[in-house]
Amino acid sequence: MSKIYNLKREVEKPVRLTGGHRLCAGCGAGVVVSGVLRALDKEDRAVVVNATSCLEVSTFMYPYTAYMDSYIHSAFENSAATCSGVEAAYNALKRRGKVDGAVKFITFAGDGGTYDIGFQSLSGAMERGHDMVYVCYDNEAYMNTGIQRSSSTPRFAGTTTTPIGSVGQGKKQNKKDLTEILVAHNIPYVAQTAPIGNFKDLHTKAYNAIYTEGPCFLNVLSPCPRGWDYPMAKLAEITKLAVDTCVWPLFEVEEGVWHLSYTPKKKLPVEDFLRPQGRFRHMFQKGNEWMIKEAQQYVDQKWERLLEHTSA
Amino acid sequence: MERVLMKGNEALAEGAILAGCRGFFGYPITPSSEIAEYMARKMPKIGGVFVQAESELAAINMVYGGASTGARVMTASSSPGLSLKQEGISFISEAELPCLIVNVSRGGPGLGGIQPAQSDYFQATRGGGHGDYHTIVLAPSGSQEMMDFAMEAFELADKYRIPVMIMAEGTLGNIMEPILMREPVTKFSEKPWATTGCRGRKPNIVNTLHLGNEELESRNHQLFNKYQIIKENEKRADAFLVEDAEIVVVAFGIMSRIVKKAVIEARKKGVKAGLVRPVTLWPFPDEHIRTAAKNARLFLSVEISMGQMIQDIQLALAGRVPVEFYGRIGFTPNPEEILQEIMRLAEREGL
Repeated sequence: MSKIYNLKREVEKPVRLTGGHRLCAGCGAGVVVSGVLRALDKEDRAVVVNATSCLEVSTFMYPYTAYMDSYIHSAFENSAATCSGVEAAYNALKRRGKVDGAVKFITFAGDGGTYDIGFQSLSGAMERGHDMVYVCYDNEAYMNTGIQRSSSTPRFAGTTTTPIGSVGQGKKQNKKDLTEILVAHNIPYVAQTAPIGNFKDLHTKAYNAIYTEGPCFLNVLSPCPRGWDYPMAKLAEITKLAVDTCVWPLFEVEEGVWHLSYTPKKKLPVEDFLRPQGRFRHMFQKGNEWMIKEAQQYVDQKWERLLEHTSA
Repeated sequence: MERVLMKGNEALAEGAILAGCRGFFGYPITPSSEIAEYMARKMPKIGGVFVQAESELAAINMVYGGASTGARVMTASSSPGLSLKQEGISFISEAELPCLIVNVSRGGPGLGGIQPAQSDYFQATRGGGHGDYHTIVLAPSGSQEMMDFAMEAFELADKYRIPVMIMAEGTLGNIMEPILMREPVTKFSEKPWATTGCRGRKPNIVNTLHLGNEELESRNHQLFNKYQIIKENEKRADAFLVEDAEIVVVAFGIMSRIVKKAVIEARKKGVKAGLVRPVTLWPFPDEHIRTAAKNARLFLSVEISMGQMIQDIQLALAGRVPVEFYGRIGFTPNPEEILQEIMRLAEREGL
């Protein structure tokens, strides 16, 4: 990016995700999507591809659309494949001189549509090398169908299919590290980000992803007040806590080179992130101290490993 | 017996558990997700297995694996999810593995909507995937039958070594009705074909590949013969006021209850209307249709689709009685509009 980031100037651009969509108050997804689309240069057009998700059913209730750009949705498992097809068609038209101007291809999908059922089509698209950006807005469960676990749901989190009760104590498995899996695809640009502060990190990474040729991937933490069970006014606070506890570190991998984007001034204990959220409530009951301890150990391990990558 | 108020989806899940189902492999989709959620809460407490798969494909293939061991296992989904499961269902049918597959159905094609619908009738009754096969299809009409049919489905599945499908409109999954709790099943049939570890016996093999010409043909004949036996034994339908009926309405699932009201109202107005409600969609109860045709001048198929079951009614009647159709999709027809249709047809036919 040639210009220095200035939020005030960025928000003066014409909006590409308009208000009036039906996402919940306090939903992270809307903030993520408008933040990513804002990184597009004003004169460039985009094709937004969307997997089945909260985002899809809330921003594109056909014939109504919240997008100023072209939009396509097909099913749950195939947004990356759909985007591949659109990009291939665009290239064919371009070769024949039938389209002009820059068109950018951006896919938005939730963690269900990315980590789980859409993983095969995502991996295929990245390997084939389509010039596209795949954005996962990660809210760590299937919120659209009623808060069932996904492979992105963190360990111990309560969902409707990992209930808290006499036998179950939330999800048993750790969260899948999708960002690292995408790094292993050896694509030009992979980044992990979140909408915090003045959105500079999200904006810069979205810009890099959109304007780097070839397949690029963004994993964006997108808190969900319904699924995570916190007051909806706390969106910014929760997102910041995820970053400052190193539960969700911000980093990017450019042509295989890792960069750490943000080091918390003071690395907060993981329980600061867990405590405000209902899905982790049981971890604070007497006798469950070990859960917080293990959650902390896991975060520390992952953080240390990331530092090894980024300092190499 | 205990009388409880239950959501249809939960009644079905509880019915499956009472039938000895100890393996549920699911993937959430509206309006079926409560089945998975109920199983997630219940299975760990009774030593069962609940696995949430990463996709419908994974879930049905977990059923394939589970059923191979002879365990009573199931999956539940809704229409677009059933489309994704078809490959697995074809394999399970060929491998002759008993299991329960539930479709809490909604409207299509494509993304469609989440309104209740019966437009998966063809998919359910014609096999759905590739190859010559059928699944037994049961169509409940209320919460009690959601429970009872889940229990019966496992019995039928074991009896014929066949996947059994329950097709219930989204309405049935989500309405709450008082039901009588059933007793748990305690007697299970032997499954000498199951892959349970072959120490001391010859290994069992589950296989669907038949490269030889004769082998493939004889395999299909075997399946076909089984389907003939099921057709002879398992056709089920309820008949209501058909004895002297001049207009016979045919409807299944939730639709049959709505039509029943319209039939009663039509009788009050002097029109001899009756109702046949197929309980099994495959095998289709064609004999019940023919029996009801004794005094019939006209049949009327009422469906929450553009008209699919009507073809089976026409096949059953073989041109003897004309068959009309009334259906909607996106909406569920109400008793008033069905009554209106019955009265319109009665007037047209001079009945």
